[in-house]
Amino acid sequence: MARKMLVDGELSQTNEEEAHYDFDLFVIGAGSGGVRAARFSAQYGAKVGICELPFHPISSDVIGGVGGTCVIRGCVPKKILVYGAAFGGELEDARSYGWELNEKIDFDWKKLLHKKTDEILRLNGIYKRLLSNAGVKLFEGEGKIVGPNEVVVTQLDGTKLSYSAKHILIATGSRAQRPLIPGQELGITSDEALSLEDLPKRAVVLGGGYIAVEFASIWKGLGATVDLFFRKELPLRGFDDEMRAVVARNLEGRGINLHPRTNLTELIKTDEGIKVITDHGEELIADVVLFATGRIPNSKRLNLEAAGVEVDSTGAVKVDEYSRTNIPSIWAVGDVTNRMNLTPVALMEGTCFAKTVFGGEPSKPDYNNIPCAVFSIPPLSVVGLSEEQAIEQANGDVLVFTSSFNPMRNTISGRQEKTVMKLVVDAETDKVLGASMCGPDAPEIMQGIAVALKCGATKAQFDSTVGIHPSAAEEFVTMRSVTRRVTASGKPKTNL
Amino acid sequence: MATTSFTAPKLSSPTLQSLYRNFHVSVPLPKSLSSFSRRFSPSFPRFHHQHHRLQRRRLFSVRAESENGSEPPRHYDFDLFTIGAGSGGVRASRFAANFGASVAVCELPFSTISSETTGGVGGTCVLRGCVPKKLMVYASKYSHEFDESHGFGWKYETEPKHDWSTLIANKNAELQRLTGIYKNILNNAGVELIEGRGKIVDPHTVDVDGKLYTARHILISVGGRPFIPEIPGSEYAIDSDAALDLPSKPEKVAIVGGGYIALEFAGIFNGLTSEVHVFIRQKKVLRGFDEEIRDFVGEQMALRGIEFHTEETPQAIVKAADGSLSLKTNRGTVDGFSHVMFATGRRPNTKNLGLESVGVKMNKNGAIEVDEYSRTSVPSIWAVGDVTDRINLTPVALMEGGALAKTLFQNEPTKPDYRAVPSAVFSQPPIGQVGLTEEQAIKEYGDIDVYTANFRPLKATLSGLPDRVFMKLIVCAKTNKVLGLHMCGEDSAEIVQGFAVAVKAGLTKADFDATVGVHPTSAEEFVTMRTPTRKIRQSLESEGKTDVEAKSAAGV
Repeated sequence: MARKMLVDGELSQTNEEEAHYDFDLFVIGAGSGGVRAARFSAQYGAKVGICELPFHPISSDVIGGVGGTCVIRGCVPKKILVYGAAFGGELEDARSYGWELNEKIDFDWKKLLHKKTDEILRLNGIYKRLLSNAGVKLFEGEGKIVGPNEVVVTQLDGTKLSYSAKHILIATGSRAQRPLIPGQELGITSDEALSLEDLPKRAVVLGGGYIAVEFASIWKGLGATVDLFFRKELPLRGFDDEMRAVVARNLEGRGINLHPRTNLTELIKTDEGIKVITDHGEELIADVVLFATGRIPNSKRLNLEAAGVEVDSTGAVKVDEYSRTNIPSIWAVGDVTNRMNLTPVALMEGTCFAKTVFGGEPSKPDYNNIPCAVFSIPPLSVVGLSEEQAIEQANGDVLVFTSSFNPMRNTISGRQEKTVMKLVVDAETDKVLGASMCGPDAPEIMQGIAVALKCGATKAQFDSTVGIHPSAAEEFVTMRSVTRRVTASGKPKTNL
Repeated sequence: MATTSFTAPKLSSPTLQSLYRNFHVSVPLPKSLSSFSRRFSPSFPRFHHQHHRLQRRRLFSVRAESENGSEPPRHYDFDLFTIGAGSGGVRASRFAANFGASVAVCELPFSTISSETTGGVGGTCVLRGCVPKKLMVYASKYSHEFDESHGFGWKYETEPKHDWSTLIANKNAELQRLTGIYKNILNNAGVELIEGRGKIVDPHTVDVDGKLYTARHILISVGGRPFIPEIPGSEYAIDSDAALDLPSKPEKVAIVGGGYIALEFAGIFNGLTSEVHVFIRQKKVLRGFDEEIRDFVGEQMALRGIEFHTEETPQAIVKAADGSLSLKTNRGTVDGFSHVMFATGRRPNTKNLGLESVGVKMNKNGAIEVDEYSRTSVPSIWAVGDVTDRINLTPVALMEGGALAKTLFQNEPTKPDYRAVPSAVFSQPPIGQVGLTEEQAIKEYGDIDVYTANFRPLKATLSGLPDRVFMKLIVCAKTNKVLGLHMCGEDSAEIVQGFAVAVKAGLTKADFDATVGVHPTSAEEFVTMRTPTRKIRQSLESEGKTDVEAKSAAGV
């Protein structure tokens, strides 16, 4: 199959088919994955068109913007707010270092919001320029698939443009979803949360995923009262259990009220604010209720059914290892495929797509040892396997090295918040299977560790690396004694 | 010399007492010491493991003793006597004791300022170096954070003021706590701590303030001390010891020197709102670092308000009637300094140790000459850390101390490995680096590819400050191996550690490229550098191409 794709994608071939199509590639959706695929394909010599909905911070069926979730409604604005919120804790710490600050420090939410919007507009412009510099033709409007090689773009004024393309790439991403509870219209999603007119004084967050803990941290850091509700015992399902507990402890330590094993059942509008009712019968009043209860692929309005493109039960476009759908000329990358919903993964998928289809080099994205970060305050970052995954997947014993320490900065600030680091090692091969850290700078620290893990570094190689002193990161290369050994015996094995 | 003259060390049996003293409960430790605490966590598997090892070792030592018939067995007070309880000395002593040796260490009484008669358990790193320096960096960095916070919507009715005495008091309380912890660590390991000045009398004897101790092996780990060149008025100058413990804020400070200590203090004083002038003899700061990093850090520091006086050599310090100091250089005189600090290098503390009389060889700077196993010219005398002037970094002293303990007391001759040792400069912005500079790489490998990124980090786009980040990868054109990695910008020190594992493991540029980024971070730039900035070839003219899109393309 790979070979066939290669032939399909060969641009140097001058068979008569080439002439039929308006474009070699038409991309629907100009987010991280779509822009990357479009640009790289163009650089390989393909004639590329891309369509995207008009820009606005809050997405809908008819609103989007070049740059996509990451730039407009995700990573970038989120990180900006995290930066803003982190100052809250830092200013407290500054006093022990001799800084005399007023008891009450003002924070101007509108200013931050305004600057955030300026920045995402700037990035939106940069992305548009990147496309035009690469020779990609950008259309503003909603794209639909009409046939295996045909798309229709409905422009703002309602006019429809129809184009044929040798390949079509679906990169429409995903959108936040709301729970179906009475009064859900009173709540907001992360889109609105990044653009609120006023900073809430009392915020309620529903959800235990990374988006939920990030917004809880943001609002708490900016001075709000925050109540976080989630269904499980701990937030961040899927992450290492020990690290989940650390995050929960830190969130509580920073003053966020955690409500584990609790769901919201109803929202009611009152004069004092939104009355929030839980399944434990509790009631509280909030200015803002955020639903961080998952995201769904944007596949509904693409006309996929008629075109015969298969989607799964969640609406995610089904693809093979090369990001190809069941229709050979139609491909999909990024969140719309619901594989691993991260910007750098969409970039990787977009790059592999361009290489496969137009670069003459069939490339599969590699999902092993992909690092990721949760920008809670303090942040969590991980790469590779959690302890639980390692125990399940390793052939023999698993060695766990942990380090829990008071960061040097806290020795004077007096902040009671431990940094926790963890390495999970295959006892037989000495390979480091997973690394995690929760503490200041964790995402920055984890990137280099990820290179090491990606290449199968052993614990001995970690140990042979000299530390950078004094840093937090040096703990990763000075973990001498094993904290525990989890034996292979007794754990269920499969032959897969 | 090392391998041929190396003989299996002989050991006396450890006393039961010292064996039991190895196991203790852990004490709460700050980050920088946490590795020690793990060592002491009670754990049964560890106990058994150690117990077996001790039995093995004891058998071995008996054999070694009987095989070596040429020397009559002699009784010593200790298997190891260490002079100097800094990073290297404490590590070697503690590990040696863990391996079953009987160990004593001597150290001068505690003081924040070092001298012939003062020092303190913990050494330079804990008392006069890494730790207090980093605490001061934390303190001073807040002023930059206040500036940044304006751009994020934070407002101060009155601009934050800094109270110097609060900082110094809190810092000194922390140092007292740390020196106490180090003493506990030695005590818990069963190492005997002797307070006083150690001097070597003969190859197996140390005199501590008149009392004699014999030892099978002597370890010199007395470190280094700041050096101030003799110029007229140099008695008015302070060194880094004093600069870390000033009673009041220096209003206007001259810093002489362009090395990492000079830059770190320039950042500290600047952040704590002193007026700072840095005088360097050369055109650029940080000799020995990658040239582009040298340029970049100088520019960034100047943007934060530090005034650099380049190619100026100090000639005299003059004290005016009002008590202020003037610094006269080959180019002119700058007046009105409250303090003149010299950061003009450090010298090994080898004076009055009795080294000449027992025949321990030193180089012209006073550094003790050692072989690859840290052995001096006298077979029973060893030296680690700054006193040997190899790579003067705490983690390197720890590595040397750890290796020595293994060599002497675990029958496992171990050489410290100096390849790809990462290091950091805690200037503001900080620098992190590992491996070769571009200049070294060209010399050693000839054909290299250089990847650079120079960008405005996300935080700066909001803060409006002129902060930038510079990153650089140096790749061997033939093997694709990453030879060097350099960064100047926020979090550099933390970022480079993980990459140091990769560089040490000999990973290639392709390995970096195969790694997915953590988004949005600065660090992800190191795995998304697609186009070389220049290719340097011995045969051809180097092909240069500035990758203007380097960062703007970062997202997609």
